[in-house]
Amino acid sequence: MLLTLDILTTAAILFIVSIGLLAIFGVLKIINFAHGAWLTVGAYCAVVTAKLGLNPWLALPLAFAVGAALGGLAEHFIIRPLYRRPLDAILATWGLGIVVGQLITLAFGRDVQLTPNLLAGTVEILGVDYSAYRLVALGIALAIGTLFALTIERTRLGLSARAVIMNETLARSLGIDTGRVRLVVFMIGAGFAALAGVLLTPLTSVDPNMGVAWLIGAFMLVMVADASYLALAAACLVFGAAQVLISTFVSPILGSIAIAVLAALVLRISPKGFSRA
Amino acid sequence: MAEAAGEAAAEAVRRSEPADAALALEGVSSGYGAVSIVKGVSLSVAAGEIVALLGKNGMGKTTLLKTILGMVALRGGAITVGGQALAGLSPARLVALGVGYAPQEQPLFQDLSIRDNLRLAVPSDRMLPEALERLFGHFPFLKDRLAQRAGTLSGGEQKMLILGRALMLRPRLLLIDEISEGVQPSMVERLRGVLDAERAAGVSMLVVEQHVAFALALADRYAVLKLGEIVDSGPAGAPDAQARVIGHLAV
Repeated sequence: MLLTLDILTTAAILFIVSIGLLAIFGVLKIINFAHGAWLTVGAYCAVVTAKLGLNPWLALPLAFAVGAALGGLAEHFIIRPLYRRPLDAILATWGLGIVVGQLITLAFGRDVQLTPNLLAGTVEILGVDYSAYRLVALGIALAIGTLFALTIERTRLGLSARAVIMNETLARSLGIDTGRVRLVVFMIGAGFAALAGVLLTPLTSVDPNMGVAWLIGAFMLVMVADASYLALAAACLVFGAAQVLISTFVSPILGSIAIAVLAALVLRISPKGFSRA
Repeated sequence: MAEAAGEAAAEAVRRSEPADAALALEGVSSGYGAVSIVKGVSLSVAAGEIVALLGKNGMGKTTLLKTILGMVALRGGAITVGGQALAGLSPARLVALGVGYAPQEQPLFQDLSIRDNLRLAVPSDRMLPEALERLFGHFPFLKDRLAQRAGTLSGGEQKMLILGRALMLRPRLLLIDEISEGVQPSMVERLRGVLDAERAAGVSMLVVEQHVAFALALADRYAVLKLGEIVDSGPAGAPDAQARVIGHLAV
Protein backbone atom coordinates (compact mmCIF):
# COMPACT_ATOMS: atom_id res chain seq x y z
CA MET A 1 0.00 0.00 0.00
CA LEU A 2 2.76 2.36 1.01
CA LEU A 3 4.56 1.48 -2.19
CA THR A 4 1.46 2.22 -4.30
CA LEU A 5 1.06 5.61 -2.65
CA ASP A 6 4.76 6.34 -3.12
CA ILE A 7 4.51 5.47 -6.79
CA LEU A 8 1.37 7.54 -7.37
CA THR A 9 2.67 10.59 -5.55
CA THR A 10 6.10 10.36 -7.18
CA ALA A 11 4.41 10.17 -10.59
CA ALA A 12 2.27 13.17 -9.61
CA ILE A 13 5.31 15.25 -8.69
CA LEU A 14 7.10 14.27 -11.90
CA PHE A 15 4.00 15.27 -13.87
CA ILE A 16 3.75 18.64 -12.14
CA VAL A 17 7.43 19.31 -12.85
CA SER A 18 7.33 18.27 -16.53
CA ILE A 19 3.99 19.54 -17.85
CA GLY A 20 5.24 23.08 -18.48
CA LEU A 21 8.26 21.77 -20.36
CA LEU A 22 6.01 19.53 -22.45
CA ALA A 23 3.70 22.40 -23.45
CA ILE A 24 6.64 24.51 -24.62
CA PHE A 25 8.31 21.60 -26.40
CA GLY A 26 5.08 20.69 -28.21
CA VAL A 27 4.27 24.11 -29.57
CA LEU A 28 7.65 25.82 -29.89
CA LYS A 29 9.57 22.67 -30.79
CA ILE A 30 12.43 23.68 -28.54
CA ILE A 31 13.55 22.20 -25.26
CA ASN A 32 13.43 25.05 -22.81
CA PHE A 33 16.56 24.55 -20.74
CA ALA A 34 15.55 27.53 -18.65
CA HIS A 35 12.82 25.27 -17.24
CA GLY A 36 14.95 24.52 -14.17
CA ALA A 37 15.40 28.25 -13.64
CA TRP A 38 11.63 28.84 -13.67
CA LEU A 39 11.27 26.06 -11.10
CA THR A 40 13.86 27.80 -8.93
CA VAL A 41 12.15 31.17 -9.39
CA GLY A 42 8.91 29.57 -8.21
CA ALA A 43 10.57 28.10 -5.15
CA TYR A 44 12.01 31.51 -4.28
CA CYS A 45 8.51 32.96 -4.58
CA ALA A 46 7.73 30.64 -1.65
CA VAL A 47 10.79 32.03 0.17
CA VAL A 48 9.63 35.61 -0.44
CA THR A 49 6.06 34.83 0.61
CA ALA A 50 7.43 33.37 3.85
CA LYS A 51 9.69 36.38 4.49
CA LEU A 52 6.71 38.67 4.04
CA GLY A 53 4.82 36.59 6.56
CA LEU A 54 2.05 35.72 4.10
CA ASN A 55 0.04 32.53 3.86
CA PRO A 56 2.42 30.02 2.22
CA TRP A 57 -0.26 28.90 -0.27
CA LEU A 58 -0.23 32.44 -1.71
CA ALA A 59 3.12 31.50 -3.20
CA LEU A 60 1.27 29.39 -5.81
CA PRO A 61 -0.57 32.19 -7.67
CA LEU A 62 2.41 34.50 -7.12
CA ALA A 63 4.79 31.98 -8.68
CA PHE A 64 2.50 31.33 -11.62
CA ALA A 65 2.20 35.06 -12.30
CA VAL A 66 5.94 35.71 -11.93
CA GLY A 67 6.84 32.66 -14.02
CA ALA A 68 4.38 33.61 -16.77
CA ALA A 69 5.58 37.23 -16.81
CA LEU A 70 9.27 36.26 -16.96
CA GLY A 71 8.44 33.60 -19.54
CA GLY A 72 6.63 36.16 -21.67
CA LEU A 73 9.63 38.51 -21.56
CA ALA A 74 12.04 35.67 -22.35
CA GLU A 75 9.93 34.51 -25.31
CA HIS A 76 9.58 38.00 -26.71
CA PHE A 77 13.15 39.21 -26.34
CA ILE A 78 15.25 36.04 -26.48
CA ILE A 79 13.44 33.10 -28.08
CA ARG A 80 11.39 34.85 -30.76
CA PRO A 81 14.34 36.27 -32.72
CA LEU A 82 15.78 32.72 -32.82
CA TYR A 83 12.76 30.79 -34.13
CA ARG A 84 14.50 30.04 -37.40
CA ARG A 85 17.56 28.77 -35.51
CA PRO A 86 16.16 26.20 -33.06
CA LEU A 87 19.57 25.02 -31.88
CA ASP A 88 20.57 28.57 -30.99
CA ALA A 89 17.21 29.02 -29.29
CA ILE A 90 17.90 25.98 -27.11
CA LEU A 91 21.37 27.30 -26.26
CA ALA A 92 19.83 30.68 -25.46
CA THR A 93 17.41 29.07 -22.97
CA TRP A 94 20.36 27.31 -21.36
CA GLY A 95 22.23 30.61 -21.03
CA LEU A 96 19.10 32.25 -19.71
CA GLY A 97 18.82 29.52 -17.07
CA ILE A 98 22.39 30.26 -15.93
CA VAL A 99 21.74 34.01 -15.78
CA VAL A 100 18.54 33.54 -13.76
CA GLY A 101 20.40 31.21 -11.36
CA GLN A 102 23.14 33.81 -10.87
CA LEU A 103 20.61 36.61 -10.33
CA ILE A 104 18.92 34.51 -7.67
CA THR A 105 22.31 33.91 -6.04
CA LEU A 106 22.98 37.67 -6.10
CA ALA A 107 19.67 38.43 -4.46
CA PHE A 108 19.41 35.60 -1.95
CA GLY A 109 22.90 34.16 -1.60
CA ARG A 110 24.11 30.62 -2.18
CA ASP A 111 22.67 29.15 0.99
CA VAL A 112 19.82 26.74 1.28
CA GLN A 113 16.63 28.62 2.12
CA LEU A 114 14.01 27.43 4.52
CA THR A 115 10.38 27.60 3.55
CA PRO A 116 7.36 26.93 5.72
CA ASN A 117 5.58 23.65 5.17
CA LEU A 118 2.58 24.03 2.93
CA LEU A 119 0.91 21.22 4.83
CA ALA A 120 2.37 19.26 7.75
CA GLY A 121 1.51 15.92 9.27
CA THR A 122 0.15 12.65 8.05
CA VAL A 123 -3.25 11.22 7.37
CA GLU A 124 -4.38 7.65 7.63
CA ILE A 125 -5.37 6.29 4.29
CA LEU A 126 -6.22 2.64 3.60
CA GLY A 127 -4.55 1.52 6.79
CA VAL A 128 -1.27 3.42 6.49
CA ASP A 129 -0.16 6.79 7.79
CA TYR A 130 0.90 8.83 4.83
CA SER A 131 2.27 12.32 4.25
CA ALA A 132 -0.70 14.63 3.88
CA TYR A 133 1.31 16.90 1.64
CA ARG A 134 2.20 14.16 -0.86
CA LEU A 135 -1.49 13.29 -1.11
CA VAL A 136 -2.35 16.93 -1.74
CA ALA A 137 0.37 16.99 -4.40
CA LEU A 138 -1.34 14.04 -6.04
CA GLY A 139 -4.63 15.95 -6.03
CA ILE A 140 -2.93 19.03 -7.45
CA ALA A 141 -1.34 16.96 -10.23
CA LEU A 142 -4.76 15.56 -11.14
CA ALA A 143 -6.22 19.07 -11.09
CA ILE A 144 -3.41 20.45 -13.27
CA GLY A 145 -3.75 17.51 -15.65
CA THR A 146 -7.51 18.03 -15.92
CA LEU A 147 -7.13 21.78 -16.42
CA PHE A 148 -4.49 21.15 -19.05
CA ALA A 149 -6.64 18.55 -20.84
CA LEU A 150 -9.68 20.84 -20.83
CA THR A 151 -7.62 23.72 -22.19
CA ILE A 152 -6.13 21.57 -24.94
CA GLU A 153 -9.33 19.75 -25.92
CA ARG A 154 -12.04 22.32 -25.33
CA THR A 155 -10.72 25.84 -25.86
CA ARG A 156 -9.83 27.71 -28.98
CA LEU A 157 -6.33 28.36 -27.62
CA GLY A 158 -5.94 24.59 -27.13
CA LEU A 159 -7.14 23.90 -30.65
CA SER A 160 -4.77 26.53 -32.07
CA ALA A 161 -1.92 25.05 -30.04
CA ARG A 162 -2.68 21.56 -31.37
CA ALA A 163 -2.83 22.99 -34.89
CA VAL A 164 0.60 24.59 -34.43
CA ILE A 165 1.97 21.30 -33.07
CA MET A 166 0.58 19.28 -35.99
CA ASN A 167 1.30 21.61 -38.88
CA GLU A 168 2.48 25.12 -38.18
CA THR A 169 2.68 26.15 -41.85
CA LEU A 170 -0.96 25.27 -42.44
CA ALA A 171 -2.02 26.92 -39.18
CA ARG A 172 -0.31 30.14 -40.23
CA SER A 173 -1.74 30.06 -43.75
CA LEU A 174 -5.24 29.79 -42.27
CA GLY A 175 -4.68 33.09 -40.47
CA ILE A 176 -3.85 31.75 -37.01
CA ASP A 177 -1.52 34.13 -35.19
CA THR A 178 1.09 31.48 -34.48
CA GLY A 179 3.39 34.02 -32.81
CA ARG A 180 0.71 34.75 -30.22
CA VAL A 181 0.07 31.05 -29.67
CA ARG A 182 3.79 30.53 -29.03
CA LEU A 183 3.95 33.47 -26.62
CA VAL A 184 0.90 32.38 -24.62
CA VAL A 185 2.05 28.75 -24.47
CA PHE A 186 5.53 29.80 -23.35
CA MET A 187 3.99 31.94 -20.62
CA ILE A 188 1.76 29.09 -19.47
CA GLY A 189 4.67 26.64 -19.57
CA ALA A 190 6.92 28.93 -17.53
CA GLY A 191 4.04 29.66 -15.15
CA PHE A 192 3.47 25.95 -14.53
CA ALA A 193 7.20 25.44 -14.01
CA ALA A 194 7.27 28.15 -11.34
CA LEU A 195 4.14 26.67 -9.76
CA ALA A 196 5.93 23.32 -9.65
CA GLY A 197 8.84 25.05 -7.91
CA VAL A 198 6.56 26.10 -5.05
CA LEU A 199 5.06 22.62 -4.80
CA LEU A 200 8.57 21.13 -4.55
CA THR A 201 9.58 23.27 -1.56
CA PRO A 202 8.30 20.82 1.10
CA LEU A 203 10.12 17.94 -0.60
CA THR A 204 13.49 19.36 -1.51
CA SER A 205 15.92 22.02 -0.36
CA VAL A 206 15.65 25.45 -1.94
CA ASP A 207 18.90 26.77 -3.38
CA PRO A 208 19.86 28.57 -6.60
CA ASN A 209 20.71 25.32 -8.40
CA MET A 210 17.77 23.22 -7.27
CA GLY A 211 16.14 23.31 -10.69
CA VAL A 212 18.95 21.50 -12.51
CA ALA A 213 18.28 18.00 -11.18
CA TRP A 214 14.57 18.33 -11.84
CA LEU A 215 15.24 19.70 -15.31
CA ILE A 216 17.08 16.51 -16.33
CA GLY A 217 14.23 14.26 -15.21
CA ALA A 218 11.60 16.47 -16.83
CA PHE A 219 13.64 16.59 -20.04
CA MET A 220 13.83 12.78 -20.19
CA LEU A 221 10.10 12.41 -19.55
CA VAL A 222 9.22 14.92 -22.26
CA MET A 223 11.53 13.20 -24.74
CA VAL A 224 9.67 9.96 -24.09
CA ALA A 225 6.24 11.61 -24.18
CA ASP A 226 6.90 13.57 -27.40
CA ALA A 227 4.15 16.21 -27.38
CA SER A 228 1.32 14.22 -25.80
CA TYR A 229 0.20 15.01 -22.25
CA LEU A 230 -1.45 11.59 -21.92
CA ALA A 231 1.84 9.95 -22.89
CA LEU A 232 3.53 12.20 -20.33
CA ALA A 233 1.15 10.99 -17.61
CA ALA A 234 1.86 7.38 -18.61
CA ALA A 235 5.62 8.01 -18.66
CA CYS A 236 5.46 9.63 -15.20
CA LEU A 237 3.63 6.59 -13.83
CA VAL A 238 5.98 4.03 -15.36
CA PHE A 239 9.21 5.88 -14.59
CA GLY A 240 7.96 7.02 -11.20
CA ALA A 241 7.19 3.40 -10.38
CA ALA A 242 10.63 2.32 -11.55
CA GLN A 243 12.28 5.03 -9.49
CA VAL A 244 10.36 4.08 -6.33
CA LEU A 245 10.83 0.33 -6.76
CA ILE A 246 14.56 0.58 -7.52
CA SER A 247 15.09 3.03 -4.65
CA THR A 248 13.19 0.79 -2.25
CA PHE A 249 14.52 -2.62 -3.23
CA VAL A 250 17.91 -1.98 -4.80
CA SER A 251 19.50 1.30 -3.91
CA PRO A 252 18.33 4.92 -3.63
CA ILE A 253 21.32 6.02 -5.72
CA LEU A 254 20.35 3.77 -8.60
CA GLY A 255 16.75 4.90 -8.14
CA SER A 256 17.76 8.49 -8.73
CA ILE A 257 19.22 7.66 -12.14
CA ALA A 258 16.41 5.25 -13.08
CA ILE A 259 14.50 7.83 -15.11
CA ALA A 260 17.45 8.85 -17.24
CA VAL A 261 18.53 5.28 -17.94
CA LEU A 262 15.01 4.05 -18.68
CA ALA A 263 14.26 7.01 -20.95
CA ALA A 264 17.41 6.30 -22.95
CA LEU A 265 16.36 2.64 -23.26
CA VAL A 266 12.80 3.46 -24.32
CA LEU A 267 13.99 5.93 -26.94
CA ARG A 268 16.51 3.38 -28.22
CA ILE A 269 13.69 0.87 -28.79
CA SER A 270 10.97 3.28 -29.93
CA PRO A 271 12.17 6.72 -31.09
CA LYS A 272 8.64 8.12 -30.66
CA GLY A 273 8.63 7.03 -27.04
CA PHE A 274 5.25 6.55 -25.38
CA SER A 275 3.31 8.81 -27.70
CA ARG A 276 2.65 6.07 -30.26
CA ALA A 277 2.16 3.28 -27.78
CA MET B 1 -3.13 68.56 -76.70
CA ALA B 2 -1.37 65.41 -77.82
CA GLU B 3 0.22 65.31 -74.41
CA ALA B 4 -3.18 65.40 -72.70
CA ALA B 5 -4.45 62.62 -74.93
CA GLY B 6 -1.38 60.61 -74.11
CA GLU B 7 -1.96 61.13 -70.43
CA ALA B 8 -5.57 60.08 -70.75
CA ALA B 9 -4.52 56.93 -72.59
CA ALA B 10 -1.90 56.19 -69.95
CA GLU B 11 -4.51 56.75 -67.27
CA ALA B 12 -6.88 54.32 -69.01
CA VAL B 13 -4.15 51.69 -69.19
CA ARG B 14 -3.33 52.23 -65.53
CA ARG B 15 -6.98 51.92 -64.59
CA SER B 16 -7.43 48.63 -66.39
CA GLU B 17 -4.20 47.33 -64.98
CA PRO B 18 -2.75 46.51 -61.58
CA ALA B 19 -4.17 49.27 -59.39
CA ASP B 20 -7.74 48.09 -59.83
CA ALA B 21 -7.07 44.40 -60.31
CA ALA B 22 -8.20 41.88 -57.71
CA LEU B 23 -4.61 40.69 -57.69
CA ALA B 24 -1.60 42.31 -59.32
CA LEU B 25 1.98 41.09 -59.33
CA GLU B 26 4.72 43.33 -60.68
CA GLY B 27 8.19 41.90 -61.17
CA VAL B 28 7.76 39.54 -58.22
CA SER B 29 10.85 37.58 -57.14
CA SER B 30 11.21 35.16 -54.24
CA GLY B 31 12.96 31.99 -53.14
CA TYR B 32 14.38 29.98 -50.29
CA GLY B 33 17.83 30.61 -48.82
CA ALA B 34 20.32 31.23 -51.61
CA VAL B 35 17.99 29.79 -54.25
CA SER B 36 15.84 32.06 -56.42
CA ILE B 37 12.64 30.31 -57.46
CA VAL B 38 10.31 33.02 -58.75
CA LYS B 39 12.05 35.49 -61.05
CA GLY B 40 10.33 38.73 -61.97
CA VAL B 41 6.77 37.54 -62.48
CA SER B 42 4.16 40.09 -63.55
CA LEU B 43 0.56 38.96 -63.61
CA SER B 44 -2.87 40.32 -62.85
CA VAL B 45 -6.27 38.87 -62.12
CA ALA B 46 -9.30 41.09 -62.71
CA ALA B 47 -12.43 41.04 -60.57
CA GLY B 48 -14.48 37.94 -61.36
CA GLU B 49 -11.72 36.48 -63.49
CA ILE B 50 -10.03 33.08 -63.27
CA VAL B 51 -6.39 32.90 -64.32
CA ALA B 52 -4.79 29.47 -64.62
CA LEU B 53 -1.11 29.22 -63.77
CA LEU B 54 0.35 26.18 -65.49
CA GLY B 55 3.74 24.55 -65.50
CA LYS B 56 5.61 21.40 -64.67
CA ASN B 57 6.58 20.39 -61.14
CA GLY B 58 9.28 22.51 -59.58
CA MET B 59 8.72 25.54 -61.83
CA GLY B 60 7.76 27.81 -58.94
CA LYS B 61 3.95 27.75 -59.06
CA THR B 62 3.39 26.88 -55.41
CA THR B 63 6.22 29.18 -54.33
CA LEU B 64 4.50 32.02 -56.19
CA LEU B 65 1.25 31.37 -54.31
CA LYS B 66 3.14 31.23 -51.02
CA THR B 67 4.86 34.51 -51.88
CA ILE B 68 1.47 36.17 -52.40
CA LEU B 69 0.41 34.80 -49.02
CA GLY B 70 3.54 36.13 -47.33
CA MET B 71 4.71 32.63 -46.41
CA VAL B 72 7.79 33.00 -48.60
CA ALA B 73 9.57 36.36 -48.35
CA LEU B 74 9.15 38.74 -51.27
CA ARG B 75 12.61 39.63 -52.61
CA GLY B 76 11.64 42.01 -55.35
CA GLY B 77 8.64 43.58 -57.04
CA ALA B 78 5.23 44.34 -55.62
CA ILE B 79 2.01 42.48 -54.88
CA THR B 80 -1.32 44.25 -54.45
CA VAL B 81 -4.76 42.89 -53.68
CA GLY B 82 -7.59 45.26 -54.60
CA GLY B 83 -4.99 48.04 -54.73
CA GLN B 84 -3.55 47.32 -51.27
CA ALA B 85 0.13 46.40 -51.08
CA LEU B 86 0.68 43.07 -49.35
CA ALA B 87 4.32 43.30 -48.33
CA GLY B 88 4.70 42.53 -44.66
CA LEU B 89 1.05 41.65 -44.04
CA SER B 90 0.38 38.60 -41.89
CA PRO B 91 -1.77 35.74 -43.22
CA ALA B 92 -4.39 36.79 -40.65
CA ARG B 93 -4.57 40.24 -42.29
CA LEU B 94 -4.84 38.60 -45.71
CA VAL B 95 -7.80 36.55 -44.54
CA ALA B 96 -9.39 39.78 -43.32
CA LEU B 97 -8.69 41.36 -46.73
CA GLY B 98 -10.68 38.57 -48.38
CA VAL B 99 -7.94 36.27 -49.60
CA GLY B 100 -8.78 32.56 -49.49
CA TYR B 101 -6.25 29.78 -49.99
CA ALA B 102 -6.70 26.14 -50.91
CA PRO B 103 -3.25 24.59 -50.42
CA GLN B 104 -1.94 21.42 -52.00
CA GLU B 105 0.78 20.24 -49.61
CA GLN B 106 -0.51 18.92 -46.25
CA PRO B 107 -3.70 20.93 -46.62
CA LEU B 108 -5.64 19.45 -43.66
CA PHE B 109 -5.06 18.56 -40.03
CA GLN B 110 -5.54 14.85 -40.67
CA ASP B 111 -5.96 13.90 -37.01
CA LEU B 112 -8.47 16.63 -36.19
CA SER B 113 -12.20 16.41 -36.82
CA ILE B 114 -13.68 18.12 -39.87
CA ARG B 115 -15.35 20.60 -37.51
CA ASP B 116 -12.02 21.49 -35.84
CA ASN B 117 -10.37 21.85 -39.25
CA LEU B 118 -13.07 24.36 -40.17
CA ARG B 119 -12.98 26.12 -36.78
CA LEU B 120 -9.31 26.82 -37.33
CA ALA B 121 -10.11 28.64 -40.57
CA VAL B 122 -12.48 31.19 -39.02
CA PRO B 123 -11.14 34.04 -36.87
CA SER B 124 -13.65 33.38 -34.08
CA ASP B 125 -16.10 30.63 -33.14
CA ARG B 126 -18.95 33.12 -33.44
CA MET B 127 -18.42 33.23 -37.20
CA LEU B 128 -18.54 29.45 -37.55
CA PRO B 129 -22.31 28.78 -37.93
CA GLU B 130 -22.68 31.20 -40.83
CA ALA B 131 -19.48 29.93 -42.44
CA LEU B 132 -20.69 26.33 -42.12
CA GLU B 133 -24.02 27.17 -43.76
CA ARG B 134 -22.11 28.55 -46.69
CA LEU B 135 -19.92 25.44 -46.82
CA PHE B 136 -22.93 23.09 -46.77
CA GLY B 137 -24.43 25.11 -49.62
CA HIS B 138 -21.51 23.92 -51.77
CA PHE B 139 -20.86 20.50 -50.24
CA PRO B 140 -23.92 19.21 -48.35
CA PHE B 141 -22.33 15.80 -47.66
CA LEU B 142 -20.08 17.42 -45.01
CA LYS B 143 -23.07 18.34 -42.85
CA ASP B 144 -23.42 14.91 -41.24
CA ARG B 145 -19.72 14.26 -41.01
CA LEU B 146 -18.40 17.14 -38.91
CA ALA B 147 -17.26 14.85 -36.11
CA GLN B 148 -15.33 12.58 -38.47
CA ARG B 149 -11.54 12.80 -38.63
CA ALA B 150 -10.48 14.75 -41.72
CA GLY B 151 -7.91 12.08 -42.57
CA THR B 152 -10.65 9.49 -43.05
CA LEU B 153 -12.23 11.35 -45.99
CA SER B 154 -11.48 10.07 -49.50
CA GLY B 155 -9.02 12.06 -51.62
CA GLY B 156 -11.80 13.78 -53.56
CA GLU B 157 -13.79 14.54 -50.41
CA GLN B 158 -10.67 16.08 -48.86
CA LYS B 159 -10.31 18.35 -51.89
CA MET B 160 -13.91 19.45 -51.42
CA LEU B 161 -13.26 20.18 -47.77
CA ILE B 162 -10.16 22.20 -48.69
CA LEU B 163 -12.04 24.21 -51.29
CA GLY B 164 -15.10 24.61 -49.08
CA ARG B 165 -12.93 25.82 -46.21
CA ALA B 166 -11.34 28.45 -48.46
CA LEU B 167 -14.81 29.63 -49.57
CA MET B 168 -16.38 29.74 -46.09
CA LEU B 169 -15.41 33.33 -45.34
CA ARG B 170 -16.63 34.74 -48.69
CA PRO B 171 -13.20 35.56 -50.12
CA ARG B 172 -12.86 38.08 -52.93
CA LEU B 173 -9.71 36.44 -54.18
CA LEU B 174 -9.05 32.73 -54.09
CA LEU B 175 -5.63 31.13 -54.52
CA ILE B 176 -6.00 27.45 -55.42
CA ASP B 177 -3.16 24.94 -55.64
CA GLU B 178 -3.84 21.82 -57.75
CA ILE B 179 -7.38 21.20 -56.63
CA SER B 180 -7.95 18.55 -59.33
CA GLU B 181 -4.88 16.48 -58.49
CA GLY B 182 -5.71 12.82 -57.90
CA VAL B 183 -9.46 13.44 -58.07
CA GLN B 184 -11.76 11.25 -60.15
CA PRO B 185 -13.45 12.96 -63.16
CA SER B 186 -16.96 13.16 -61.67
CA MET B 187 -15.61 14.95 -58.60
CA VAL B 188 -13.49 17.27 -60.76
CA GLU B 189 -16.73 18.30 -62.48
CA ARG B 190 -18.31 19.04 -59.10
CA LEU B 191 -15.35 21.16 -58.06
CA ARG B 192 -15.55 23.00 -61.35
CA GLY B 193 -19.26 23.66 -60.85
CA VAL B 194 -18.52 25.30 -57.51
CA LEU B 195 -15.68 27.39 -58.94
CA ASP B 196 -17.87 28.54 -61.87
CA ALA B 197 -20.59 29.59 -59.44
CA GLU B 198 -18.10 31.55 -57.33
CA ARG B 199 -16.73 33.33 -60.39
CA ALA B 200 -20.27 34.25 -61.39
CA ALA B 201 -20.60 35.78 -57.92
CA GLY B 202 -17.57 37.96 -58.64
CA VAL B 203 -14.78 36.00 -56.94
CA SER B 204 -11.37 36.27 -58.63
CA MET B 205 -9.09 33.25 -58.72
CA LEU B 206 -5.52 32.33 -59.42
CA VAL B 207 -5.58 28.60 -60.08
CA VAL B 208 -2.35 26.59 -60.14
CA GLU B 209 -2.86 23.42 -62.17
CA GLN B 210 -1.14 20.59 -63.97
CA HIS B 211 -4.39 19.23 -65.42
CA VAL B 212 -4.31 21.31 -68.63
CA ALA B 213 -7.76 20.48 -70.03
CA PHE B 214 -9.46 21.20 -66.69
CA ALA B 215 -7.52 24.44 -66.21
CA LEU B 216 -8.20 25.83 -69.69
CA ALA B 217 -11.89 24.87 -69.55
CA LEU B 218 -12.23 26.65 -66.21
CA ALA B 219 -10.06 29.72 -66.69
CA ASP B 220 -10.49 32.95 -68.61
CA ARG B 221 -6.77 33.36 -69.16
CA TYR B 222 -3.70 31.22 -68.68
CA ALA B 223 -0.03 31.79 -67.95
CA VAL B 224 2.79 29.25 -68.15
CA LEU B 225 5.55 29.34 -65.56
CA LYS B 226 8.92 27.86 -66.49
CA LEU B 227 11.90 28.02 -64.13
CA GLY B 228 10.26 30.88 -62.26
CA GLU B 229 9.42 33.03 -65.26
CA ILE B 230 6.24 33.45 -67.27
CA VAL B 231 7.04 32.17 -70.75
CA ASP B 232 3.57 32.27 -72.30
CA SER B 233 0.13 33.64 -71.57
CA GLY B 234 -3.12 34.29 -73.39
CA PRO B 235 -6.87 33.72 -73.40
CA ALA B 236 -7.75 30.23 -72.20
CA GLY B 237 -10.39 29.92 -74.91
CA ALA B 238 -7.96 30.53 -77.81
CA PRO B 239 -8.03 27.65 -80.31
CA ASP B 240 -4.29 27.03 -79.97
CA ALA B 241 -4.11 27.48 -76.17
CA GLN B 242 -4.06 23.78 -75.30
CA ALA B 243 -1.43 22.93 -77.92
CA ARG B 244 0.78 25.81 -76.78
CA VAL B 245 0.54 24.92 -73.11
CA ILE B 246 1.21 21.24 -73.74
CA GLY B 247 4.21 22.28 -75.85
CA HIS B 248 5.61 24.15 -72.84
CA LEU B 249 4.92 21.26 -70.51
CA ALA B 250 6.63 18.68 -72.73
CA VAL B 251 10.13 17.74 -71.65
